[in-house]
Amino acid sequence: MPTTGSTRERGPMRHIPEDELHAYLDQALSRTQCVEIESHLAECPSCRGMRDGIAALRDRTTALLAKLAPPARPLPPYERLSRVAAEVATQRRRRLHLLAWAASLVVAVGLGWSASSFTRDSAARGAARAVARVSGPAEAGSATPSGLPTTPAPPAAMAQAGQSARARATDPERPGNAVRSSTSTPALAARSSRSSSAGHPTARSPQAMAAAASDSARAVREATLRVLSPTPTLELTNLDRSGRQEDLEGMWRTMPWDGTKTAAGEVPHIDGLPVVQVQVQSGDQSASAVTVVAQQLASGQVIRTIEGPATDVSQILSRHGLGEVDSAMSADGSGRLLPDGGHAMAMQVGDRMLAITGDLPSDSLRAMIRRLNAELRSK
Amino acid sequence: MTDDLEQLYQSTYTAVVRFLYRKVWDAERAEDLAQEVFVRALSHRPEKPRAWVFAVAANLARDEARAAMRRKRHLTLLKGDPIAQPALSPAADDSVERDEQMASVHEALNTLTPRDREILLLWDAGLSYPEIAAQTGLAVGAVGTTLARARRRLVDAHDRQHSRTGTDAAHS
Repeated sequence: MPTTGSTRERGPMRHIPEDELHAYLDQALSRTQCVEIESHLAECPSCRGMRDGIAALRDRTTALLAKLAPPARPLPPYERLSRVAAEVATQRRRRLHLLAWAASLVVAVGLGWSASSFTRDSAARGAARAVARVSGPAEAGSATPSGLPTTPAPPAAMAQAGQSARARATDPERPGNAVRSSTSTPALAARSSRSSSAGHPTARSPQAMAAAASDSARAVREATLRVLSPTPTLELTNLDRSGRQEDLEGMWRTMPWDGTKTAAGEVPHIDGLPVVQVQVQSGDQSASAVTVVAQQLASGQVIRTIEGPATDVSQILSRHGLGEVDSAMSADGSGRLLPDGGHAMAMQVGDRMLAITGDLPSDSLRAMIRRLNAELRSK
Repeated sequence: MTDDLEQLYQSTYTAVVRFLYRKVWDAERAEDLAQEVFVRALSHRPEKPRAWVFAVAANLARDEARAAMRRKRHLTLLKGDPIAQPALSPAADDSVERDEQMASVHEALNTLTPRDREILLLWDAGLSYPEIAAQTGLAVGAVGTTLARARRRLVDAHDRQHSRTGTDAAHS
């Protein structure tokens, strides 16, 4: 047989190199190479011995390395990773949007500047209006210089307006977080996304990122609301996360709407809106019950009306990060502005407190709570 | 595509954690980095996901090692003495034994050159010769040679340690 003869001839002449045997055992060789090696092995006892030695070496290496393993832990669910990846992508898009927004602002300012060189007087008037609108009541005196109408350059006026907004944003004396958060949360969002890219996509980071993202979006909205409300008569509180029921501590009962009406008398709510949920926290007497009525607007937004003893309601509000609600408010319901533009309004009447929360413009909430209060007192 | 990545995740996540653990020597950190690797894979959608995943893992581990080195240097400057190895916490006997075995393999692995060590770990993580070659810049034909050397050195170094401790035990 010619093939056997040739192998026999070649066999002792050319032993298989060590690295080739490694590659052979690692299954890293082509079929042709494998056939060649196998036919040589069949003929050559010394190469067979070497192969066995290398196989043993391979196994020992694998066994040794197997000891270098962290304690086995369950595989984190793939869904969690894809969620984090989606969050990261959203963050990236949002940052781009923010950039676009900033760019458009620059363009707007630039347009204002160039327009001013043509129509200086009208632009000056416009800037004066802008300053009046941007500065809230507290700063109105300081931010609107008396000499402004005679100030010839509108960009200066706009810069002043910007300064007043900035002063409010950085003033540590103001516990309000509306404007401040509009500057700080994008940084937070950026930080959290960065930290995740540095390798911390742990369980909490998606939520943290989501919270930061929604915070920053809200902060932008709130900043506008805040500066557009010049004469607030009611308390603005920061109860935007009204949907989170876990923040309502204590024993709560969810009640049918009809049952509530008969059991506890008139429950404060907005007439004409479908009631989604009624929750009652009963105290010792029926007088100290706290009720939370959730109602849905046509837009799908849920607003909540909270009524109960002032201390309880303010506790609920403060659990939402509000801090203390000033309980020394005058009994006629004319509160003072808490320096943060939240999405909640609270009003104290005697020792009871009425609050309404929802993701709505503050003036809508204010109108609602006025109407509610009027209804309650007429009864 | 998502299915491909999910499949890859299921089949290689543990290997990636192990690969990273052998570089950062911290189980939690290794898991964090491994998850980071797969999150990145999800947004990058690489063409050769398996090779890509280990390449990114190697990069992250390298960054991590550099940062650790900086911290260590800084601390050394502050304290003026070398950093002590973290003491093994007293635990059950089998866990102590496991830690000792691990330490001796770790030590043996440290006697390899960085390149040999990298190639051995990549092979052990399940990469093929062409994948290892692509990642390390080595010729495919040289992977076998490197692996042959790395395996021999690892086992030799480990055996030397043991004969040493064996002699010590005999002397005492």
